Amino acid sequence: MRLSIEQLIPIPLKDKISEYNSRIWGQKLTFNTGEHIFIQAPSGTGKTTLIHFLYGLRKDFEGKIHWSAFKMNDINTEQLSQLRASSVSVIFQDMRLFPELTTWENLEIKRRLTGTVTEHDAEKWLDRLGIKHKMNSLASTLSYGEQQRVAIIRAMLQPFEWLLMDEPFSHLDHANKQRAIALIKDVTSTNNAGIILADLEDNDYFTYTRKLLL
Amino acid sequence: MKPLKQSKLLRKLLLRHKSNNRLWVSLLALCVGSTLLLLSVLIWWNFQQVLEGSSDNDSLGSTFLTIGKNVTNDMMGKPDISLFKPREIEAMRSAPQVQDMGVLVSNRFPVYATFNAGIAGFSSEMFLEAVPERLLDKKPDGWHWQPGNLTVPIILSSDFLNLYNYGFALSQGLPQLSQSSIKALAFDLKIGRGDFTQTYTARVVGFSDRINSVLVPLSFVEYGNQTYAPNVVFAPSRLIVKVKDPSDNAFISFLKSRDYTTNAEQLRWNKLRVVIGGVTSATGLLALLLMGIGTLVFILFIELTIAKAAQSLSLLLQLGYSPRYLSLFMLRRFVPLVLLALAISALLACVAQDIVADKATVMNLTLPDTPGWQVWAVLAVSASMLLLFVSRAIVRAIK
Repeated sequence: MRLSIEQLIPIPLKDKISEYNSRIWGQKLTFNTGEHIFIQAPSGTGKTTLIHFLYGLRKDFEGKIHWSAFKMNDINTEQLSQLRASSVSVIFQDMRLFPELTTWENLEIKRRLTGTVTEHDAEKWLDRLGIKHKMNSLASTLSYGEQQRVAIIRAMLQPFEWLLMDEPFSHLDHANKQRAIALIKDVTSTNNAGIILADLEDNDYFTYTRKLLL
Repeated sequence: MKPLKQSKLLRKLLLRHKSNNRLWVSLLALCVGSTLLLLSVLIWWNFQQVLEGSSDNDSLGSTFLTIGKNVTNDMMGKPDISLFKPREIEAMRSAPQVQDMGVLVSNRFPVYATFNAGIAGFSSEMFLEAVPERLLDKKPDGWHWQPGNLTVPIILSSDFLNLYNYGFALSQGLPQLSQSSIKALAFDLKIGRGDFTQTYTARVVGFSDRINSVLVPLSFVEYGNQTYAPNVVFAPSRLIVKVKDPSDNAFISFLKSRDYTTNAEQLRWNKLRVVIGGVTSATGLLALLLMGIGTLVFILFIELTIAKAAQSLSLLLQLGYSPRYLSLFMLRRFVPLVLLALAISALLACVAQDIVADKATVMNLTLPDTPGWQVWAVLAVSASMLLLFVSRAIVRAIK
């Protein structure tokens, strides 16, 4: 699935963007299947806004975003859910777990939507990220680091061609970060998927094909 | 790890805030509304059954009048003047408000009744009349005669029994008789003259409030008239007419202009009919209003449940759940409740109809044991409307 962006401008940041030279806002870009894209974005430049635009959570932009045949400008809700369930997965900066559900339930609600990952694999991934013992704990009782690891695993529990990540490791220590990166690498390579990672500072978590400054 | 059902998880997320008390109250409101709606349709439908319904019923919807010519001094000794000519019968048939008409056919042969019950007995000459079956108050069991039958059924005017019980029996010291005791008695009916007589066993099988006469099946009178007075054509002296609204001015002036007489008491039925019609309509409107309120309360309950789960709903959509899937999930939870409420209403309507039919039997009315298709049609329409409103409320709230 190819992602193309054309003259994309977030309406609330319109004035601010004209002041600096963004490599994304107002540009024409095409990301091909399997690419690893890093977007470096200092605070306030619209990093989360961009991820939300790409994921279809916000529509207050000018320009065009196309996920192959899906045009985000006039996509309907059913198409959007189809896109999210089977082609584009996301790790939100603010995790967005269901606080009233346990760790396992948070994973199951996503896994059972498509049923493409086995329960066994999901359990194995929990173990890999060191949170298996928190399986039956309510998400509201988990630490940020634990929540972030649950959110990472949840994003892997569906078929996807692109994985969007918004500061995915901000709450993780070095060891946990490495384990999470290894898991994401494994699953994305199984899926032959591309990644778009947005973060504040430059990094080499993945072998990026392109690095862009927002 | 124990497998978790997706529906269980969704229930946990979306219906967690559902208050059971509120649910039962809103279901009750819905149930009361739909029950009242069905009951008011049931009242209307039963009323229709009695008014225009089956021939078994003593129809209250139309009034039956026995019409005769006013007997004046001029007519005395000239019986032909008081008889109806074919032209007059046709005019009556097409008179305003007249729905049906029949002639009272009387016997043109001698009839002699003999009653012997051991201690008491009487014998008397008498007369018989016949009307078409459709104009009887109620067709009694065994109301049938054909040549060769030795038993003749009789319908007696209730007024005759009253005259006997309160006038004759009291003054003569004879026992008073109930309708059922009269029905248990049999007497001999000898018809014909000279050597050409035939004797039948006669039984009273019913009573009429409508026709002041001694009625036998039309086939019996026709047989007797053909046998004993074959070549005489007799005009009827009385007509029985079924009129929609006897208080209609056009009808009254029709009767007046021809100097016909009738029983004015019957006119009161019509007023009662108007009152019952009004009450039924008012009940229907009220029921419709209550059904509307019930529906509104239920929809508000659903919207409140969805509003409380708005955050979970929005996150589910973000995870890739489709609005259609979530709407169906909610529909699967709420539609059975709607159907339950309607099923209870339908059951109550059936029970009510059964009770009404039983009560009606006592009043000599025949009503079906189960509600008619009109009641089910209203149920189907209200169910469709309700489901439409509920689905729209859910789909709108989720999108």
